[in-house]
Amino acid sequence: MIANAYELIVNILTAIGIYEPVYGFFQSFGLEYLLRIIIVVVEIVVLLVFVLLSVMFLSWLERKMFGWVQSRYGPMVTGPHGLFQPIADGIKLVGKEDIIPASADRWIFTLAPFIIFVPALLVFVPLPFGDTLILSDLRMGLIYIIAISALSPVSILLAGWASNNKYSLMGAMRAVAQDISYTIPLALAAIAVVLYVGSLSTVDIVRAQEGTWFGIIPRWFIFMQPLAFILFLIASIAEMGRIPFDFQESEQELVAGFFTEYSGMKFAMYFLGEYAHLFAVSGVVVTIFLGGWTGPVLSPIPVQITSLVYFIIKTYAVILFAMWLRDTVPRVRIDQLLNLGWKIMIPLALLNLLVTSFLLTARVI
Amino acid sequence: METDELLINMGPVHPSTHGVLRFKLIMDGEIIRDCKVVMGYLHRGTEKLAEMKTYLQFIPYTDRLDYIAAMPNNYAYVRAVEELAGIEAPLRAEYIRVLTMELNRITNHLVFMGSLLLDLGASTPIMYGFREREKALQLYEMLCGARMTFSYMRVGGVREDLPEGFIPRLNEFIKDMEMRIVDYEQLINDNEIFLLRMKNIGVISAEEAINYGMTGPSLRGSGVNYDIRKLEPYSIYPDLDFKACVRKECDSYARYLVRIDEMKESLHILKQIADTIPAGEIITTQKYGIAPVTGAPTSVMPYFPRIFTPPEGEVYTRIEAPKGELGFYVVSDGTTKPYRVKIRSPSFCNLVAIPKMVVGLKIPDLIAAFGTIDVVLGDVDR
Amino acid sequence: MAWISKNWAMTGIIKGFIVTLKHIFHIGNRPIVTVQYPYEKMKLAPRFRGRHSVDQDACIGCGICESNCPNGTIRIVKYNGRWFPEFNLGMCLFCGLCMDACPMNAIKMDGGYELADYSRESLVYGPDRILFKKEVNK
Repeated sequence: MIANAYELIVNILTAIGIYEPVYGFFQSFGLEYLLRIIIVVVEIVVLLVFVLLSVMFLSWLERKMFGWVQSRYGPMVTGPHGLFQPIADGIKLVGKEDIIPASADRWIFTLAPFIIFVPALLVFVPLPFGDTLILSDLRMGLIYIIAISALSPVSILLAGWASNNKYSLMGAMRAVAQDISYTIPLALAAIAVVLYVGSLSTVDIVRAQEGTWFGIIPRWFIFMQPLAFILFLIASIAEMGRIPFDFQESEQELVAGFFTEYSGMKFAMYFLGEYAHLFAVSGVVVTIFLGGWTGPVLSPIPVQITSLVYFIIKTYAVILFAMWLRDTVPRVRIDQLLNLGWKIMIPLALLNLLVTSFLLTARVI
Repeated sequence: METDELLINMGPVHPSTHGVLRFKLIMDGEIIRDCKVVMGYLHRGTEKLAEMKTYLQFIPYTDRLDYIAAMPNNYAYVRAVEELAGIEAPLRAEYIRVLTMELNRITNHLVFMGSLLLDLGASTPIMYGFREREKALQLYEMLCGARMTFSYMRVGGVREDLPEGFIPRLNEFIKDMEMRIVDYEQLINDNEIFLLRMKNIGVISAEEAINYGMTGPSLRGSGVNYDIRKLEPYSIYPDLDFKACVRKECDSYARYLVRIDEMKESLHILKQIADTIPAGEIITTQKYGIAPVTGAPTSVMPYFPRIFTPPEGEVYTRIEAPKGELGFYVVSDGTTKPYRVKIRSPSFCNLVAIPKMVVGLKIPDLIAAFGTIDVVLGDVDR
Repeated sequence: MAWISKNWAMTGIIKGFIVTLKHIFHIGNRPIVTVQYPYEKMKLAPRFRGRHSVDQDACIGCGICESNCPNGTIRIVKYNGRWFPEFNLGMCLFCGLCMDACPMNAIKMDGGYELADYSRESLVYGPDRILFKKEVNK
């Protein structure tokens, strides 16, 4: 039984017949751990490249989507249909002057943009991209994801504070208030699923969604827990800080919120971090409610490939929905958002939890 | 815990102050305790400039007051000079003038709708608004060669006649626009988030609004039926069938709805004009007239002297511009240049009511209320 | 929060979703309307007021345009032994009063619209850049 990507790589290498001699070669120096490190580093590099490519693609897709909705073309010039626009933007941003305001706290100001990437990337650790395509199947996977994604306001707060700008500080404060209010319904909605599965491991959650009802309807938790799905989706979008909940950076009110003072590559880091977060959160939504990588198995093709394709299709569906939402609705006000979080979503999530646990105890589902 | 009030300078360079306007806000956390409007960053001395130009030369400058809707500015000034000199424009010219002004009311409200929604964070409506506005601007380009700063009206008439194929294209625009307004209403009007942001925000009662000198759609949103087209009918408005749009809710949403309704009314007016526009002269030959120059291929100006001297006197005329009451006070001392021109611009008078609306609300509400007042800084600072 | 109890189904937002969806798939006369500007240009109306050009045979150098310009854009300068107007487009309002005022109909404003430049001096369009000779059918 292969549990994660590490074992998958070892298995493939063994099947080709490379693993044994290489392992023996390292063993002769007493350096087996070096081989393990190399394999893990390869995994991480593959993941990083995948995430960065996705992020660049997403920033292109977002603009293209904006264009389609608004009767425009979107980027068209660089590359086919403007596909290389993110690269051109990256080159432009790297070439820009990197301004640090005189009254800013230099170290924190410089550090904050890099910290935003950390939670966005760490979320990918227990996220199953496909059957066995997982970095590490943590037993506490779901709690880990919720805890890590609650870290992103740290970076925002650091940036807002270090910029020494009133708008930045207000944006940062809003981000913290928003995150505190929305992590709770996020966790409560997810726990309803955990109660049913009986495990926090993301792989177990996905496995519980395999198969179909009546041969047609897939056993996804969206059908079993529709309320939890809606709450989780709204809370995720709020956590991502996208319209209609983008208070941390609401440009029409706070100029650019916490990254008002940032320019050049640091600005690009926030931009990339936002899309990495979008991809991560969409992946989490897919894993918990949309069946993860499950789907019909096409026997000649290895299950790793088909499951990866299913996962990516579903993730992009969620991402496109988030973009479509952004194109359609205006922004709510910060106090209305907090009202929505505390007065409606948390009670609803608790109610959902109560009903779920009642039905589970009564063995109805 | 010790807390302190925070002074925020919103502007003069800020994404949602529609130009170079500055709000001095005293904030208690997110709540506005005091708001001062600081204006004058775009002051160009237009009124003083008028004293150094001939009556004709000042017309291009009126374009630059409210550059979103320049045609009513042209008209208000030209009408003041016409009254001063006792000239009447021919009927066809008046029809063309009202046509262009109502078209401009639509473009203005499209920009209003787009920029308001953009201020609220929805970036799609402004693109839809500009898509339709582009069609109207192409009509203008066809008519007078410019898209925003028209300089189209002349004392005693208009500069050029309608080009060939203008009326069919106008009809096309009207038909298209009717469908698009349905789209806007579906996209925006019932959107729960939009209602949440607009209802009961920026409330100003009818009495207060009158006291602050608010006019136009912003006042009609407070339930005051005050439309100069109805109260003091000018030009051909008495012959046209339209109604002043009034809402009683006094809040931002009412002001928004008034403008959407006005677009429909303007379309209705445009339809009537397209059907009934009479043939005839487009510039007067009445008093200062000289014989038409035959064979002059493009220019119509030989009909009317470029330099003329109205008799001594003073006159104040007002019209219903898209943003409110636009008045021109012109004093003549019998020379070729006006002695004094005073402009009563709607944006300026509407803007001063902002502090009354927003104290006790939050910054996002300030932006929503400010968006529904619909000011153009060129009009505020002159 | 009254809006939730009144309209929990969010029909307004769903209506908006339908409108944007119609635009994404161009359903019902909602095509893409923009053009790829530097590569593809829109047709200008015949009356479009752009950069000036002066008919070199018609212009008599009378200076009426100069006196009619509201902004002092025009200066009459000597060129090839005759007097012609020189336009400082940095100051021009593109109002068309010079065109209207010209007694010989020598001034046209058909010189296009892409007039941005790197220095103020290069915005001064002297007779060498604006004169044209009318084609005469023989």
